Amino acid sequence: MGWKEAAEPVLTRMPTVRRPEGHVPFKRKLTWSAGILVLYFFLTNIALLGVQSGGATDLFGQFRSVLAGEQGSILHVGIGPIVTASIVLQLLGGANLLGLDTDDPRDQVLYQGLQKLLVVIMTVLTALPMVFAGDFLPAMQSLSLGGLEFNQTQVQALIFAQIFIGGILLLYMDEVVSKWGVGSGIGLFIIASVSQSLVTGFLRPTQGGFFYNWYQIFTGEIQVGSLVSSDGLMTLLVTDQGGQLIALLTTLLIFGIVVYAESVRVEIPLSHARVKGARGRFPVKLIYASVLPMILVRALQANLQFIGQILAMQGGANGEGPIQLFGQELAWLGTYSNGQPDGGFFYYVAPIYSPRDWMWFTADVGQEAWQVLIRMSIDVVFMVVGGAVFAIFWVETTDMGPEATAKQIQNSGMQIPGFRQNVGVIEKVMERYIPQVTVIGGALVGLLAVWANMLGTIGGVTGTGLLLAVSITYKLYEEIAEEQMMEMHPMMREMFGGGD
Amino acid sequence: MDRGQNSGGLMSSAGLVRYFDSEDSNAIKIDPKTVIATGVMIGVLVQLLTFVA
Repeated sequence: MGWKEAAEPVLTRMPTVRRPEGHVPFKRKLTWSAGILVLYFFLTNIALLGVQSGGATDLFGQFRSVLAGEQGSILHVGIGPIVTASIVLQLLGGANLLGLDTDDPRDQVLYQGLQKLLVVIMTVLTALPMVFAGDFLPAMQSLSLGGLEFNQTQVQALIFAQIFIGGILLLYMDEVVSKWGVGSGIGLFIIASVSQSLVTGFLRPTQGGFFYNWYQIFTGEIQVGSLVSSDGLMTLLVTDQGGQLIALLTTLLIFGIVVYAESVRVEIPLSHARVKGARGRFPVKLIYASVLPMILVRALQANLQFIGQILAMQGGANGEGPIQLFGQELAWLGTYSNGQPDGGFFYYVAPIYSPRDWMWFTADVGQEAWQVLIRMSIDVVFMVVGGAVFAIFWVETTDMGPEATAKQIQNSGMQIPGFRQNVGVIEKVMERYIPQVTVIGGALVGLLAVWANMLGTIGGVTGTGLLLAVSITYKLYEEIAEEQMMEMHPMMREMFGGGD
Repeated sequence: MDRGQNSGGLMSSAGLVRYFDSEDSNAIKIDPKTVIATGVMIGVLVQLLTFVA
């Protein structure tokens, strides 16, 4: 336990947002959330000072819509560092290496401090390679501000400072929403980012926008060709430059499936130990751990790809051909073209983003069928196993496990009819459902995400993005409904545990 | 009734970052308005400097 004492002075002094004293009226909460959302959109539109315009490749690439933020803006790092820090905490917490008891007030303070410190470290680690390695944020040769002249290295430092501040700002914006507003800031940023891509995907008045494409199809500017030929079908159903019908269908289906799956649950009946007739149900939802752990799995894949991207930029390779390290070409590690992996280790561990990545029978895919199949199987296994593992960790670390829920049920004075009123007994019953449901739910969500990516989504929001956005919105809706009920019946507040 | 008993904070832990009730008195407290004001100021500052440069 040595690290706790050593780190305590630092961790307990991490600046935090003040908590509201007493109850915050619902309208005020909405105002805070809306205010932060406006600030988020404002900041995504502020271009970084000192970055050359054009030519930059987004290090986040296809992960952008899930990781929020905006390429080349102050919010360049998005929630990437927060998610990565969360992965580290989940893994440490899930494996019980931290030795922190989240029921103990002192450990809670340490946990919060550690969480913040990790985000700061991860922001530095994400921002450093973005600015200094490769051409992800190409700095201007020189910059003059007033009378001051900056050379390229100084401009790079300036860019680093800006995106670092942006990353930290997001952390505190999340804290403001969590403490003063409705929902969580991270959730809000993900919804904002995904919805933005989705709306752009529909309305964009250029090639690739859904409505624009259909306008062109009707006016004959896009030639669909014969519908019995495979080319015609591909144009109408699959390609970005065509009808995108499959993408539309997948997008709608994911919406439907998530909303339906939210209501699929195993209900454990409860009755009150003393008050006769007071009954309740404890729902173990199919996607019990929610789809949030999925973002952790994706972020893990994203971080692998960052390393690949950064390596590909080194040693004169500059994103073309095999990775070069110490003067040696390492083709087995990865070969790149246009900054995208097309062979080697980093190709096989890259997730499938769109139909273009796997439809080996079309001209778009340069790889052999077996290569594509290996990549697909790795992606599916990664997402399904990863989804299940992170869902288990998530349940454990957020106190949704059998032990924690049994305690909560016991404390509320409820019992399971037909069983002795005892924490251990309730835990036993919970153990029959929660772990199984968690694993099945996690794996299912993983499979759904891969499937949606394979068929494509409108605006390239990716399956994970869509799953996250829909399920977070659903949670937000539930929370708002709950808030409103409490506003109308102040009595309810006491039942929910004294305000907030 | 069953909502009141069960849902509570159970399912709503939708945040990747967790905040607990207990806080250390040593910690520096920031007002939420300060966060928003800082964000707006940084955005305006960077935009202004871009115009100047």
